[in-house]
Amino acid sequence: MKHAMAMVSLAAVLVHPQLSSAAQAGQARRTTQTAQPPDLSGYWLGSYCVGLQNIETAKGVIVEPASGKIPYRPEMAAKAKDNTANHMADEPELHCFMSGVPHVMYVQFGFQIIQSRQSVAMAWDFMNAYRIIPTDGRPHIPAAIKLFQGDSVGRWEGTTLVVDTTNQNDRTWLDTTGNFHSDAIHVVERFTLADANTIRYEATIEDPNTFTGPWKVTETFRRIAKPDYEQLEFACVEGNRDLQHYTEQAGGTAKSQPR
Amino acid sequence: MKRALAGWVVTIVVAAATVIAAGAQSRQSYAPPKTADGQPDLQGIWQVLNTSAAWNLEPHTASWGVPAGLGVIADPPDRMIPYQPAAMARKRENFQNRDAADPLAKCYKPGVPRLTYLPFPFQIVQSPQLVTIFYEYIHNYRTIHLNRATHLEGIDFWNGDSIGHWEGNTLVVDVANFNDETWFDRAGNFHSDALHVVERYTRTDANTITYEAAIEDPKVFTRPWKMSLPLVLHREPNFRLLEYECQAYAEDAAKESKK
Repeated sequence: MKHAMAMVSLAAVLVHPQLSSAAQAGQARRTTQTAQPPDLSGYWLGSYCVGLQNIETAKGVIVEPASGKIPYRPEMAAKAKDNTANHMADEPELHCFMSGVPHVMYVQFGFQIIQSRQSVAMAWDFMNAYRIIPTDGRPHIPAAIKLFQGDSVGRWEGTTLVVDTTNQNDRTWLDTTGNFHSDAIHVVERFTLADANTIRYEATIEDPNTFTGPWKVTETFRRIAKPDYEQLEFACVEGNRDLQHYTEQAGGTAKSQPR
Repeated sequence: MKRALAGWVVTIVVAAATVIAAGAQSRQSYAPPKTADGQPDLQGIWQVLNTSAAWNLEPHTASWGVPAGLGVIADPPDRMIPYQPAAMARKRENFQNRDAADPLAKCYKPGVPRLTYLPFPFQIVQSPQLVTIFYEYIHNYRTIHLNRATHLEGIDFWNGDSIGHWEGNTLVVDVANFNDETWFDRAGNFHSDALHVVERYTRTDANTITYEAAIEDPKVFTRPWKMSLPLVLHREPNFRLLEYECQAYAEDAAKESKK
């Protein structure tokens, strides 16, 4: 991201050689966005109405590597298996945690985009989660801050919204089966308006603590066109009974295995 | 130290009172900026200046960890909430049990208007049909529908159902369909499911929204009452909402105490 930003600034300076100060470069960066970015605003629905349970077995999600498998480092593959076998009571959504990036793009129900000149806000039905992605050229927040949804900054490349996300904590999973990442995860997402009612989505994921190299997922969002469609309130903590279905041994609250 | 703290609290309260007075004076004259579609522009990240309202809306002396407050109730003139006798008894009971009984102690949604004056920032985003408010506290967001004239039927929400319209430069939000599980503050001030709130957001200068909430609930109060308090714009460069994930931190604390 830093490289990309530097390149954009450099391009601006080349186009306007009279501009030299940092403040002027900032101004020039805006003027290089000559074309009006497309408006992604509206209600959208992905392909996984029941949520993404397993990112590897769900067809067509992982497009790189060609195997469709997450390129775990060997010891990390073992940890993912252990999560599935022994730690399902730690599954983050069970605890009403937000899903993290890119998992949040694969949750059940729809989401909403509200786009303005300075930011692209995304608000989900599920978990009442949201992301506010500034597109004003600002840098990431200090590395000491870790967030469930990370820190996202966006920029327009023609008709594509490119979002760079860092500062995620290691408390979210990549699906609900135990595939995971560390707090070194770095995600670059691309949202492209393919036609008025379709957004093509892809995300490149890297995390040197967990994976041997970058890998890529894709998804398609279709516009929810019902004129009176609304998102309602989602209360998770307030009614959560999930942990009653796991024994104390498995991290839940049940004294014995519920039927 | 105690004196120093008291002095600090008085300074804040006096500052708040000054801002309220200034807001009232300039309300008629200030012309707020407009959005692209011509609505008064409330967009930005805002936060309450009065840090004592979240503890107790009524005038109160300081206590351990709680700053004193002149109260934010603008009507009735005695600045006290006009409880019916039985409701007053319940309020006293709530106050006695507040540490455990406060819905916020269980990480529940704060309800309206309490989410406004919690000591956390929130971001207002506008589109022609909707005003969306994203709150940092427990990643709560609410949608104010400018495109719907009546409340939904037969469904209640922790944060109620919000419909809005503009009266001059004031966003007027009618909020109904509440449950009876939220409080107004930490002091145990409460309502029933008959609660009806009318909020008024007026940008009274570039850095201030004067916020008013008129409250009625014939099951609990003898008459309608009203609160008024200023909200201040965050102007720090690159300021953004972070996260306060109550449920996650509560789990951490519980694990820590088991060690």
